[in-house]
Amino acid sequence: MKKSLFLILMAMLLIFSVSATGQQETPKNIVRVADQVPNLITPGVWDGQTFSMNCTIYEYLVELDPETNEVIPCLAKDWSTTDGKVWTLKLQEGVKFHDGSDFTSEDVKFTIERTQDPDLGHLQKADFQIVESIETPDDYTVVLTLKEVRPTFIYLFLAYNMMMLSSDYDYASLGESQPMGTGAFKMAELRPKESALLVKNEEYWVAGLPKADELRIYFVPDIDASMNMLEAGKVDIAPFATVIHKDRLEAAGFEVISPYQEHRFVALAADREPFNDNRVRQAMKYCMDPEVLAAACQGELGVDIFYNESPILNNQSQYYDIPFRGQDIEKAKELLAEAGYPNGLSVELYYGSDHPFGKELTQTIKELAAPAGFDVQLKGYSRDVYLSQYWMNAPMLLTGWGGRPDPSMLLMLAYHSEGPWNESHINEPRVDELIGKILAEVDDTVRQGYYDELAKVFYDRGTILNIQVPYYVALRKEVKDYSQPMTFVTRYKETYISE
Amino acid sequence: MFFIRRFIVRLGSMVATLAVMSFLIFFLVELMPGDVAQMVLGQNSTPEGLASLRESMGLNDPFLVRYWRWFSGLLQGDLGESLYMRGVAINSILWRKVGHSLVLAITALLFYVPLSIFFGVVAGVRAGKLSDQIISFFGLATMALPEFVSGVLFITLFSVKLKILPITSVIPIGESLWGNLNILILPALSITIVMFGYVSRMQRSSMIQVMDSDYVRAATLKGLPRRYVIFRHALKNALLPTITIIGMNMGWLFGGLIVVETLFGFPGLGSLTMSAIKTRDVPLIEACVLFITFIFVVSTLITDTLYGVLNPRVRLAKGVD
Amino acid sequence: MRRILHDLKSNPLAIAGFAVLFLWIFLALAGPSLMNFTYTEMDTQNQIAPPGTGGHLLGTDALGRDLLARIVTGSRSILTVALFTSFFSTAAGIIIGFSAGYFGGLVDKIFLRILDVLMSIPALVLAMVILGVLGDSTIMSLTLMISIAYIPATARVARGTLLTHKGREYVDAARIMGENNFSIMFRQILPNTLGPIIVEATARFAYSIMMVASLGFLGVGLQPPTPDWGMMVIENKQIISVAPWSVLYPALAIASLVIAISLISDFFSKVLIHES
Repeated sequence: MKKSLFLILMAMLLIFSVSATGQQETPKNIVRVADQVPNLITPGVWDGQTFSMNCTIYEYLVELDPETNEVIPCLAKDWSTTDGKVWTLKLQEGVKFHDGSDFTSEDVKFTIERTQDPDLGHLQKADFQIVESIETPDDYTVVLTLKEVRPTFIYLFLAYNMMMLSSDYDYASLGESQPMGTGAFKMAELRPKESALLVKNEEYWVAGLPKADELRIYFVPDIDASMNMLEAGKVDIAPFATVIHKDRLEAAGFEVISPYQEHRFVALAADREPFNDNRVRQAMKYCMDPEVLAAACQGELGVDIFYNESPILNNQSQYYDIPFRGQDIEKAKELLAEAGYPNGLSVELYYGSDHPFGKELTQTIKELAAPAGFDVQLKGYSRDVYLSQYWMNAPMLLTGWGGRPDPSMLLMLAYHSEGPWNESHINEPRVDELIGKILAEVDDTVRQGYYDELAKVFYDRGTILNIQVPYYVALRKEVKDYSQPMTFVTRYKETYISE
Repeated sequence: MFFIRRFIVRLGSMVATLAVMSFLIFFLVELMPGDVAQMVLGQNSTPEGLASLRESMGLNDPFLVRYWRWFSGLLQGDLGESLYMRGVAINSILWRKVGHSLVLAITALLFYVPLSIFFGVVAGVRAGKLSDQIISFFGLATMALPEFVSGVLFITLFSVKLKILPITSVIPIGESLWGNLNILILPALSITIVMFGYVSRMQRSSMIQVMDSDYVRAATLKGLPRRYVIFRHALKNALLPTITIIGMNMGWLFGGLIVVETLFGFPGLGSLTMSAIKTRDVPLIEACVLFITFIFVVSTLITDTLYGVLNPRVRLAKGVD
Repeated sequence: MRRILHDLKSNPLAIAGFAVLFLWIFLALAGPSLMNFTYTEMDTQNQIAPPGTGGHLLGTDALGRDLLARIVTGSRSILTVALFTSFFSTAAGIIIGFSAGYFGGLVDKIFLRILDVLMSIPALVLAMVILGVLGDSTIMSLTLMISIAYIPATARVARGTLLTHKGREYVDAARIMGENNFSIMFRQILPNTLGPIIVEATARFAYSIMMVASLGFLGVGLQPPTPDWGMMVIENKQIISVAPWSVLYPALAIASLVIAISLISDFFSKVLIHES
């Protein structure tokens, strides 16, 4: 009895050692990432979680250069417009989808038409309503005619939901389980809510890319856990580090980079009480203290945390600097009294409680606004519940917004009275007018003039507080060529590990 | 004959319980505010998009029709597709996670059953003495302690201070749970702490009863060694109520997994249930809750049957139910 | 009552249990006004401060909020919910369990079937699904939900105790005297079964605390910034590797309260059940 047990044990050991030596043939270059838990990943309705997965499987017509922030070719090798109304795109030749089919102009046409699919709820639906017609003179040329002049049209293809799709793949039923595009990596195994194994696309159209053989993505529900995995050597890259982690990880010899700043917009809804009265909005603005907000985010104002009252990021070229109005509780009280709230008022602030900086900022805002008589009731929900049930329909909200390479993309979306994501329900004819002019203006200086005026209007009558927080990514020192432009689309095709 | 009849009756009531349960959950989720279609389309849903998605998801059908559609699928072993992750078959995610949770539950069982029986016996034999008081206090203290409290204490000690066990239970890609058994230790320990109270207390009181019985006294009087009496005579009889408690608590253990798995990020049934409830994914909630219920009724059935077989008194007492 | 006090003297663990419970009740009532900080106040100079720095006895969390003040304030909601829950679930359990046991027959059979179904789902899962139906967690909805989740258990205990008394002489006597069923159940039987019911109620108290804490931990508890012990644990778990105390103290608070009540419940069961 004991003898046979021993034999079995020996046999098992033998099998283990054989399989272990079997694996040692060629050392694979493996990049491991601890990313967020994605909810929906189907292109078009993808909620922008887990960029490491979707942005390596799929590709876009154009990309943003992480260094210069300029639009650079990807699947479109060239584009041109005569008057901003008719756009001609030349496509890269010899590109294949993972299923072996060729990438052609038909696929581009399909992808753009898909934005208007009523069954889908495509996130770029409003943006692409401007397209009047799509022609495909040959396999590698697409001609788009717009309903009106739009000099910045090409930027729309940077939107992370505008990945190029195959016209004969069933994304409606396979989009969640078997994502398929032209990207540098292919999906090998997807374990929902757990992990994804991506392998090198051997047929990739750029020679020498991707540099890594495998991309292993873990869906980790909490940030501290991601950072612990990094420290324990279980992953190489962990995005969404907080400032607390940054200090700790840097001390431990890891690299923490900030590819870009993100918005946290506090929207004061102009379509309902109490913020339909501009005096109440102004009173709220007089309550703020950017230094305290920055401290709550564990950051420093003007270094990694920024604050203004317009929709533009402080470090964008379009930003028009208006000095902070200064905290003035007396002034705020006066304004509230004038508006008919001499004894203060109560207002509900909705936010995603699990979003980075969500809890920190809302609780700070509550404290800052209290002395003037604002009783801010915090209503925190998990991000998915917040977005699906409360966002766009509340008196006061705090929402995370990624920056846009061209601010006009954001303006049309969120600050035009008819914008689909007009969360603060701003309805100012002058703002609409300025946005229209910004979109249609070809001359940079003239356009900047409109941006300047827009900032002033927002300072006087605006509906938002614009707090900017850093987006941090923590890396092992061995990770090479990691870059992420503000389109969020991480360039994992270039990333590799050098031990 | 009596046994078989009894077993069949029990089996029938078990199936009925499951059927009623499935209806109840379906009904409760129906009452929840919010809408899956809204959730799926998220921020940018348009009224027409919502309407057509609701139609294609079959959400517009009457409640009973939807329930029946789901139930008849279930009878054929088809748990349907996740409503939230469209196109993902529940069968493809559920069983893998169930497997993980079963392994975790069994590991916990391996920890707490011998541990609590041993200490329960010690406390029962030495009733009233200091060692009994310490064991009883510990059992009492941990019984109603939420799993995550002991869990964070373990994390602080073993992961933060000593750095010998992982904070999160992640299975590396390309590997299975078997190669990463160390991720089971802390979650299983947290469960052990809670279950220890129940089982050891039960073992202690049944041990006291048995030690007091005539035949144990007789054995002691015969001059048999004390150790022999305790383990050969007393323990054998005192185990029965303990087995019952362990069986009865299986379902409860699976409920507790929700908390433990959330704390450790363990990829099991508990964390799947949690995410299903958060996203109001009705078919997935149904599948998870039904499986937990299933574990409960099956373990109750097994315990009952085992109890009947092992306990001569039940076997003889015909007709008493 | 005198007997209980007498027994208490010889039970140091129960005394400790009562002492801890009264300490928490005292802190819940008077504590927040004794603190140097309010529970939302953010000390931006002292974020993630270890215990003892900057006047923060138990340290601060990531926002620089005083942990002691948050724990003390948090005791209010958890005690309120647990107290009301143990009361309501016991009361409802008595009404339902007594009725079923008293009338017997078909009523009892149906009752037992329903209990079988309800008890086959873990209370925590049931509570979470009900909470989804009720919407936002408030003290009210939490109380209601946890009470509902616990009624099957309390009703079963109540039914069991009633059955042991149903055949007794005093019940028959009352029936012959022509008292109505309601009066027999609640005037005659209830006072005589108070012992086991008090024990059950204190046990429910401990389990309610466990449940409130677990729900807070799972993120479906009370809304921030109301401090909730369970929520503090999961919130601060984000910084556990730099600030283990921020997780440790709320966890210890839960543990101390739960253990204290378990000791009290154990004491009652010894005094009121085993010795009668």
